[in-house]
Amino acid sequence: MRTNDGLIAATLGALAVVAGAAAITRKSAFGSAVGRRHQPTVIAARRLNRASGLIAASTLLDSGIEHYRGAFHNRAMIAPLVVSALTLAVSAHGTRDARPVAHRLRDSVYAGAALTGLIGTGFHLYNIGKRPGRFSWKNYSWQNLFYASPILAPSAVALAGLLGYYSERLRESRSTGAPRVFGLPAGRALAALTAAGLVATAGEAGLLHFRGAYHDPFMYVPVTVPPIAAALLAETAASRPRKPRRLARWWLRLTTLIGFVGAGFHIFGVHREMGGWRNWRQNVLNGPPIPAPSSFSGLALAGLAALGLIEEHPHA
Amino acid sequence: MTVESNQLHDALHVPRGKDGRAPDPLRVGGWMPMREYREDEAVDFVIVGTGAGGGTLACKLAEAGFSVIGMDAGAWWRPLEEFASDETHQDKLFWTDERICDGDNPLKLGSNNSGKSVGGSTVHFAMVSLRFRPEWFKCRTLLGYGADWPLDWREMWRYYGEVEQALKIAGPVTYPWGPKRPRYPYRAHEINAAGWVLAQACEAMGIAWTETPLATISAPRGRAHPCVYRGFCVTGCATNAKQSALVTWIPRAVTAGAEIRDLAMVGRIEVNDAGLATGVHYQREGQWRFQRARNVVVAGYAIETPRLLLNSATDRYPDGLANSSGLVGRNLMAQTNQGVYGVFDDEIRWYKGPPSLTLTEHWNYTDTGKDFFGGYAFMAQGPLPQAWVSTQAGNRGLWGEALLREMQQYNHQAGFKIVGETLPQERNRVTLADEKDQYGLPVARVTYSLCDNDKALVKHSIDFMSRGLDAIGARDIWAEEDDTCHLNGTARMGDDPATSVVNADCRSWDIRNLWICDGSVFPTVGGVNPSLTIQAIACRTGDRIRQLAALGEL
Ligand SMILES: Cc1cc2nc3c(=O)[nH]c(=O)nc-3n(C[C@H](O)[C@H](O)[C@H](O)COP(=O)(O)OP(=O)(O)OC[C@H]3O[C@@H](n4cnc5c(N)ncnc54)[C@H](O)[C@@H]3O)c2cc1C
Ligand code: SF4
Repeated sequence: MRTNDGLIAATLGALAVVAGAAAITRKSAFGSAVGRRHQPTVIAARRLNRASGLIAASTLLDSGIEHYRGAFHNRAMIAPLVVSALTLAVSAHGTRDARPVAHRLRDSVYAGAALTGLIGTGFHLYNIGKRPGRFSWKNYSWQNLFYASPILAPSAVALAGLLGYYSERLRESRSTGAPRVFGLPAGRALAALTAAGLVATAGEAGLLHFRGAYHDPFMYVPVTVPPIAAALLAETAASRPRKPRRLARWWLRLTTLIGFVGAGFHIFGVHREMGGWRNWRQNVLNGPPIPAPSSFSGLALAGLAALGLIEEHPHA
Repeated sequence: MTVESNQLHDALHVPRGKDGRAPDPLRVGGWMPMREYREDEAVDFVIVGTGAGGGTLACKLAEAGFSVIGMDAGAWWRPLEEFASDETHQDKLFWTDERICDGDNPLKLGSNNSGKSVGGSTVHFAMVSLRFRPEWFKCRTLLGYGADWPLDWREMWRYYGEVEQALKIAGPVTYPWGPKRPRYPYRAHEINAAGWVLAQACEAMGIAWTETPLATISAPRGRAHPCVYRGFCVTGCATNAKQSALVTWIPRAVTAGAEIRDLAMVGRIEVNDAGLATGVHYQREGQWRFQRARNVVVAGYAIETPRLLLNSATDRYPDGLANSSGLVGRNLMAQTNQGVYGVFDDEIRWYKGPPSLTLTEHWNYTDTGKDFFGGYAFMAQGPLPQAWVSTQAGNRGLWGEALLREMQQYNHQAGFKIVGETLPQERNRVTLADEKDQYGLPVARVTYSLCDNDKALVKHSIDFMSRGLDAIGARDIWAEEDDTCHLNGTARMGDDPATSVVNADCRSWDIRNLWICDGSVFPTVGGVNPSLTIQAIACRTGDRIRQLAALGEL
């Protein structure tokens, strides 16, 4: 691909992603839920579609940028782009779909995404394994953690797929009492899953911000706020049904917010590279990844869906 | 010469530290306010040279509240605007004034050993920032060679930490050798292919290696941009990623109230009848001028420092200032800098990034298996094409077809170079020649010969590195057997006025208001690049001067 074509494609792609993300986060998508009383499972499922879509949008941009930087030297590097684009599309569809049934196409795209994420993780591990220094815990393994293919990045695709797949299961859960998915109480299981996702994502941010030597104090935010959200979610998952979980709700909203604010910080970070935004072609690649922080927002939205379920159904 | 390139040379002709302002190297076209002192009013300190030693000390003294003037013969550059990606053009950073070199192994002076700029040689140095092995501060007592330093390694460890913080050194998370050190402020850079070659060779030879602690930032710092890995480091860094004195100590010094005079060549230190220094004669804008000072610090690097002291001789001090021991100019130590190179099937592109991203200090910290005193480090290399062609044509003697063939392999080449310890020898010295330079001052004669120990060290290193390259499948292995780098010694510090020029505080034994603060004060050099140690000593000297002033002992 010639550089120019690549950049044009990337720009168009980015615009499409932003449009998609806007579509799934638009309030009106939920307009139909206002008048009629919907099953809480469907509301939660649509929230999850939204969360999944947001994470997919973030990975689409992120892997697009990173794999473009890697010149797509392996054909398989296109896979996360295709899969997260599809995930984004079906998620947009899902957020507008109020029917209490799983959708065949959505279902298979989500399952495919989960699988692709797993395979991608394998690829990244394999890549690191090829480098000198391998996985030894001697000092130079930091080189690989900092600069080789990031181990955790592909699992964001997996997470988007998993959350989507979960939303489909939620839609079709028919129990009259508390909804269950895979035989587990739906809300709690989702809270636990989200908490794990938040911890992992905070771990990756922690690693990369350590690489950046926490040169800006705001770089501590993603390693403090999301883990607390994760703890609150974990506590919700583990505890007996109780009153509304106001702190957890507000903390998850805060986490949603910092995901977007983080992207803003990264935009500022690009400006601090040599040449700043005037040299955006290089600096968007070399600077901090702009889309990455919004994974926190996606996960926090999933956490809010879990809270909604639990509050509707204390035993969910 | 085109108009543009004239503009790029402006700083060489028109002083910039004037009229109450100084260039701000971190902003395009930027200026910052600068305090100015009158010539007829004695300032607390005049510092000759603003490099690793002088720039650091100027900052420390100004921040301690002293009135300070730093003078440098070189220009005050604006890296963002005036550093070209052109090896020849950047010669403007080097000290290329006339010098005479002789001895059995005459030194090649110029790009590889001295700079002439505000910021000194750190403007174009390779940024390798290593601590001494603790034992080296007592190497006569503990290791049986050289001379003991009057400094304690634990104290130095603290000052190393201060410098590493000040320069935001990017280094490995843990360092494989020596006593525990604090974590480097910034993380190590990504290793390039040339750096991995060193890693593989070390692993094949069963020794440890690590990412090189470098004075170039791996993340933003204030208005300095992180490294962009274009590899122009030793011709001057245009992004300000390199944490040279020009972009670190000097702006701090100016902010704290120091005045820096660029294009100001000091020709002579004036001494009065009481035997005290009273100021310096310097040339600026074509005129000889005199600046009064209560203390004079010489920080001109290991050749210019003794030259200035010798050139300042008076009836009272006929052998030059601070020279009652006869040691000014003696014990010059030029670290050996031999290299071994090979060709690989894989593309290496060794010019990418800072040249020495990995290194091993194995032979600094291992005392067995050696037939010599001292140690050496060796590190990955990344010469730019012109430097490489001159190595091939010069040291290797290739020409014509052979040179062309060799250069076509440039992107597949990799190799290592040592920073090797040389022993202090009194015969290795700086004296004055009859010839005069453009200021009318006698030039330095630099006499240099390796001793058997130095040669044994070199032989050991070439043998070891060659075996390392061979073990990882390099072809056409070739050793560059004749090269030297950093210069030190010539005004050693010590505990005894009979055997040293200055004491541990860098104060001369003979003239109590004359100080020397640069690489000249090293009694020995060790097998690591010197700038971190020079800066640590300058930080210590700054603190000591503050304490002495408080005690009324200045
Ligand atoms: C190419 C190169 C690579 C290097 N790489 C490394 C490295 O990777 N790591 C490392 O630790 N070290 C490195 N060094 C060495 C390091 O730069 C020097 O050891 C260190 O800068 C010396 O500090 P200094 O204060 O003694 O002198 P300098 O930093 O050279 O400063 C001396 C200054 O004094 C000025 N001056 C001299 N005489 C006069 C006078 N009479 N009047 C006015 N001004 C005068 C000069 O213009 C100069 O600016 C390198 C050096 C070079 C040249
Ligand atoms: S490689 Fe880094 S340190 Fe070297 S000149 Fe370029 S930006 Fe400066």
